[in-house]
Amino acid sequence: MLRFLLRRSVSTLLVLLVLSAVVFLLFYATPGDPAILACGKGCDGERLAVVRHKLGTDLPLWQQYWHFLQGLVAGRDYDAGTDVTHCAAPCFGYSFQTDQPVLGMITSRLPVDVSLTLGAMVIWLVVGVGTGVLSALRRGGITERLLTGLTLAGMSTPVFLIGLLLMMLCCSWLGWLPFPQYVPFGDDPAAWASNLVLPWLSLALITAAAYARMTRSSMLETLAEDHIRTGRAYGLSERRVVTGHALRGALTPVITLLAIDVGGMLGGATLTESVFGFDGLGRLLVDSVNHIDLPVVVGVTLFAAFFIVLANAVADVLYAVADPRVALA
Amino acid sequence: MSKSRALYAATGVALLSSLAVACGSGGGGSGKAGAKAFDPKDYQGGTLTVLNHRDQGHFDPARQYTSGGGKIPTLVFRTLTTRDHTTGGPAGAKPVPDLATDTGTPSDGAKTWTYHLKPGLKYEDGTPIKAQDVKYGIERSFAPELPGGAPYLRDWLIGGESYQGPYQGKELDSIQVPDDRTIVFHLRKPEGDFPYLATATQFAPVPRAKDTGVNYEKHPISSGPYKVVSNDQGKTIVLDRNPYWSKRVDDQRLAGPDKIVVQSGLDQSVINQRLAASTGADSRAITTDTDIDASVLAKLNGPQGLAKRVATGYFGETWYLAFNTKVKPFDNQKVREAISYAVDRQSVINAIGGTAVAKPATTFLPDQKAFGYTPYDYFPGGTAGDPAKAKQALAEAGYPNGITITLDHTTTAGTGSGPEAATAVQEALKKAGITVRLHASEENDYAEKTQKPATEPGLFLQSWGADWPSGGPFLAPVFDGRQILKDGGNFNASQLNDPKVNAEIDAINQITDPAAAAARWGKLDADLGKRALTVPLYHPIYKRLFGKDVTNTYVSQWNGLYDLSRISVK
Repeated sequence: MLRFLLRRSVSTLLVLLVLSAVVFLLFYATPGDPAILACGKGCDGERLAVVRHKLGTDLPLWQQYWHFLQGLVAGRDYDAGTDVTHCAAPCFGYSFQTDQPVLGMITSRLPVDVSLTLGAMVIWLVVGVGTGVLSALRRGGITERLLTGLTLAGMSTPVFLIGLLLMMLCCSWLGWLPFPQYVPFGDDPAAWASNLVLPWLSLALITAAAYARMTRSSMLETLAEDHIRTGRAYGLSERRVVTGHALRGALTPVITLLAIDVGGMLGGATLTESVFGFDGLGRLLVDSVNHIDLPVVVGVTLFAAFFIVLANAVADVLYAVADPRVALA
Repeated sequence: MSKSRALYAATGVALLSSLAVACGSGGGGSGKAGAKAFDPKDYQGGTLTVLNHRDQGHFDPARQYTSGGGKIPTLVFRTLTTRDHTTGGPAGAKPVPDLATDTGTPSDGAKTWTYHLKPGLKYEDGTPIKAQDVKYGIERSFAPELPGGAPYLRDWLIGGESYQGPYQGKELDSIQVPDDRTIVFHLRKPEGDFPYLATATQFAPVPRAKDTGVNYEKHPISSGPYKVVSNDQGKTIVLDRNPYWSKRVDDQRLAGPDKIVVQSGLDQSVINQRLAASTGADSRAITTDTDIDASVLAKLNGPQGLAKRVATGYFGETWYLAFNTKVKPFDNQKVREAISYAVDRQSVINAIGGTAVAKPATTFLPDQKAFGYTPYDYFPGGTAGDPAKAKQALAEAGYPNGITITLDHTTTAGTGSGPEAATAVQEALKKAGITVRLHASEENDYAEKTQKPATEPGLFLQSWGADWPSGGPFLAPVFDGRQILKDGGNFNASQLNDPKVNAEIDAINQITDPAAAAARWGKLDADLGKRALTVPLYHPIYKRLFGKDVTNTYVSQWNGLYDLSRISVK
């Protein structure tokens, strides 16, 4: 287990390092000068040069990257005009456009995506896996056809449409819920939940379908395996066969899917955030790309990548738990 | 990016959300009419919510562009002068005194402007506002740490071109403060429009002791009716009453609501849905940046009376086809005339959202008196274009068999420089034998390319908006030959450098009477129009919903938005 963790940590660091270099390079291939945007309309040559120097974009690319790496390891100083602020390591730099420390911008938005993802995950797992198991057991029946149809409809509807429809129904017509607005869990847990119900549902409805279909096919496959037949031959009840043996085996591909989804969503669920007006990492990334804000783009990308790597490592551990044939090495 | 997403989201649910509008307004809000007759002049109380799509950006008076976006800065920052808040008519386009006792006393042929502060002015912490603080506020805007402001101060004040702000210990000597209540500005050349410039947020006082550089925007010190309680990077801003402000020292703002909450980053179709439904706190909500969409438009005259809850305003802005006369064949005036005849303004307007949101333009100046609007249409194509006249002009230009040109546009859908508008131009010109190849660029790239003479394309879609309602800031950046900026930020797209035009601009800038200046600007615009240096396409119209318990909404003629400083909530 220790070796597994060590190897994973080293490979994660390498992946993130390469990724940050790639983002720096890509940034230079894309058009647009962040200094022009920061400087405003009618900014002329001399003023622009001063602003560009202030942002540090007048330096060669490798130097900018070197400063970035230095900041991560040793921190950096930042001139706020009236005084100099020290940005302690790991310093992801300061935004070109908002002048805020990037790490602070990311950590202030992270709770939004954690709340969105974890809540939605519970719903889509219950709905998705439940539907999948039921469909597998009632194969060919009306229940299965109904469930397949419903999940397919959920999967093929864009999240902004579901989001707008839910808001119209629950907020405008029925007035059951407020128009969602993110409330931190620490401020008011009840308001946090009631404001998140609709985003959770929207996100879960579009995601659950994939889980239902995955669980169903995997379940059918497992039910046809030898050890299930043996179990039945030993006279185990159908319930024990399904929940105790078949489901456990059928969950391996579901865990893979879950790792990809959760890892991806923690790094930002852009469309859901946009429809409900939540300030999460997804919106931050889109905004910073539009505003040619390199430090923020690099920061969010690294965080998003980190979550995906982390989620996959967790999935590997879970494999071993779910399937005794898998061992961590 | 967000714009296009909002657009397809809006089209997708237009029908459905119109249903929501129909059912929502019956839901009732918690707002109730008071027992007494409602009078916005002495009504105080409640919370006004502002639901916006774009965020407020840097809430630092040094970093706002002119008077700042969305009408919120004027609630916190009082300036030497301000636009007339008390009326929604054409008079609202005039500057009036705010912190100062008058709109400024010119001397030395409008090269020197003197202001005196009103007595008894205080900040939110009770300390008195001094003329030195106004000087310091302007000096800050020169610091490279705080970019974003308009270029006028750098161009107009003596020494402004090389001054780098107060953080290196230097002062700007062209601003003098003989005593605590007097401030004098020394300009490079006569500027009759100085009272307009003095409405910009850079003219708000900043106490040096409270300046925290780039962090000042988290809690800028208020001189206006509201102080900042919290500011989350311009996204969510909460304003509360400033106890040291009163109507006794401010005759421009009513400041009805006790509290104002600005929420931004909202989806535009959601903003319209919420304002149309107008339930709960949304009944006391407005938006300062989101126009009504197709779903609201369809229900406007329906039984729920949405039409009564729409404020219509005009911002002085012109969208046009820009010619670079240094690029062939646009150096040939007859070619430019042919394109002017051929353009179908109605199809361009349809492409960006229809007659509800735009009206056709044949003059470069917006059609408002304050700009000096003088009607002309030298190359009349009606609203639909005149291909026959265009062909004739093209033949006179030496292209009897037609011509192939390239039109540059952005990839941002639904805007005046987007692919839809470009296609509308392309189709109209085709009828006149002009084949148009389209060339699209991403927005930032487009701005950089079109605003640098070395990379400027021959023909592209462009807009110019008023920094204040006067002809000067509308015509000078676009037609003054000395404002061709080689390093970028150039808006003189035609690259016209005519000594006569430059001299006339200088002459009008010396006029300190706005009405007299307006007439001369109008005449200059009409003269420039004969040269077909641009093809004006349309002026935008703003149409915005407000909640059903919001009263005293009227639209400022300065920028087409309703005036937050005069609004009340029931």
